[in-house]
Amino acid sequence: MASNHSNNTSPHAQVSHIACPDCDLILSVPPLAVNEVAYCIRCDATLLRNQKNSIDRTLAFAITGLILFVISNLFPLLSLKAMGLTQESSLLSTALALFEADRPLLSLIILLTTFIFPAITLLGTIYILIQVKTNRINRYTALLFRFLRRTDAWGMLEIFMLAILVALVKLGDVADVIYGVSLYAFCLLILSLSLLSYSLNPQDVWNSLRNKQGCSL
Amino acid sequence: MTTALQAGLISCHFCHTLSKLPESIDGEIINKNTEIYCPCCHSSLYSRIPNSLNRTWALLLAALILYIPANTLPVMTVIFWGEGQPDTILSGVMHLFAEGMWPLALLIFLASIFIPILKLLTLTGLLISIHFRAHWRPKDRTIMYRITEFIGRWSMVDIFVIALLVALVQFGNTASVSPNLGALSFAAVVILTMFAAQTFDPRLIWDAIEEDSAKETEK
Ligand SMILES: [Zn+2]
Ligand SMILES: [Zn+2]
Repeated sequence: MASNHSNNTSPHAQVSHIACPDCDLILSVPPLAVNEVAYCIRCDATLLRNQKNSIDRTLAFAITGLILFVISNLFPLLSLKAMGLTQESSLLSTALALFEADRPLLSLIILLTTFIFPAITLLGTIYILIQVKTNRINRYTALLFRFLRRTDAWGMLEIFMLAILVALVKLGDVADVIYGVSLYAFCLLILSLSLLSYSLNPQDVWNSLRNKQGCSL
Repeated sequence: MTTALQAGLISCHFCHTLSKLPESIDGEIINKNTEIYCPCCHSSLYSRIPNSLNRTWALLLAALILYIPANTLPVMTVIFWGEGQPDTILSGVMHLFAEGMWPLALLIFLASIFIPILKLLTLTGLLISIHFRAHWRPKDRTIMYRITEFIGRWSMVDIFVIALLVALVQFGNTASVSPNLGALSFAAVVILTMFAAQTFDPRLIWDAIEEDSAKETEK
């Protein structure tokens, strides 16, 4: 119904009916051309997207991301040199430092948002997309994908990246900050994670499940 | 223009499959408490998020209460040559301004003061507007909801900065940073408002208008 430039859609192709997630209006969406996005006519919510090779691209970004995530965790991100002493910090040691400072809850929040949820996102996305590619997805594995969609907001590495920049500026005046090997890997990791979430089209995964289960949109 | 609810359909929150709101499953009459599942992805189905308003209010009130210690208690203490200086969120921003680091001060001000207030006010406003069945600019209210849901998590940046400083600046009595209770309260505010935004159902904004116009045509 409400799509950008819908001229290359074939007339006999199937129209899908979808209720807007934000205002519940039922809309009929014609098949979308590549890179076309369908918006709700009433509230502008994004309804459907059509991206070329979304599954393959997302899988590539997720695997790259996983490798970079491992490297980011192997070496220190930053080191601080002051008065002849050096203090190193990595992703996990940041959470650990708060635990040692008697703030276990805060430490847990950092651990979840900067380590556990990003790891689940990367591993889970790889698993789900391989399932889709081999046409093995079923409602039980779909449970994992539902979990990934629900917890999408809780992996906060890009916000942690911004915090690193803030800390660099703050400390730059007072002490010598040495960039660790992992910092470069970490920057690339943020890039792959944002490309991952940009290229992932959840509807492709659901369509694959739908074809197997025999339901229609 | 028909909504799924009016058409007797339920849209799956995850895969968007439309299912008929059944009156009975296997002869058993459906009442409000019977759980039904999406035929495709097997997620539990609901027309509107169950108890959305009550849950959002509860989470929001908890966040509003914790907002007080989050802003009055120090978030971290910087110890320099044996002398400790506790900082609250606001005093931290003031220090940055005083030291001339105004881009940084502006960033922390936006993330730690402006966005949380905006989020608390927007969610409160949305809930009140639904209670009074407001017809006022439903599209703009939906967009405001989308914005708060999207930017809310960025408030965590200050918590991460504190965590990094605690991990890096550990030189005994000469220079060290320790986290204080204010940081935990602030993190709790961010997390609670994130949950509040997740459990709020924007379709309720439109329901009042739909129901009132349905009554209008009945007359
Ligand atoms: Zn809509
Ligand atoms: Zn479903």
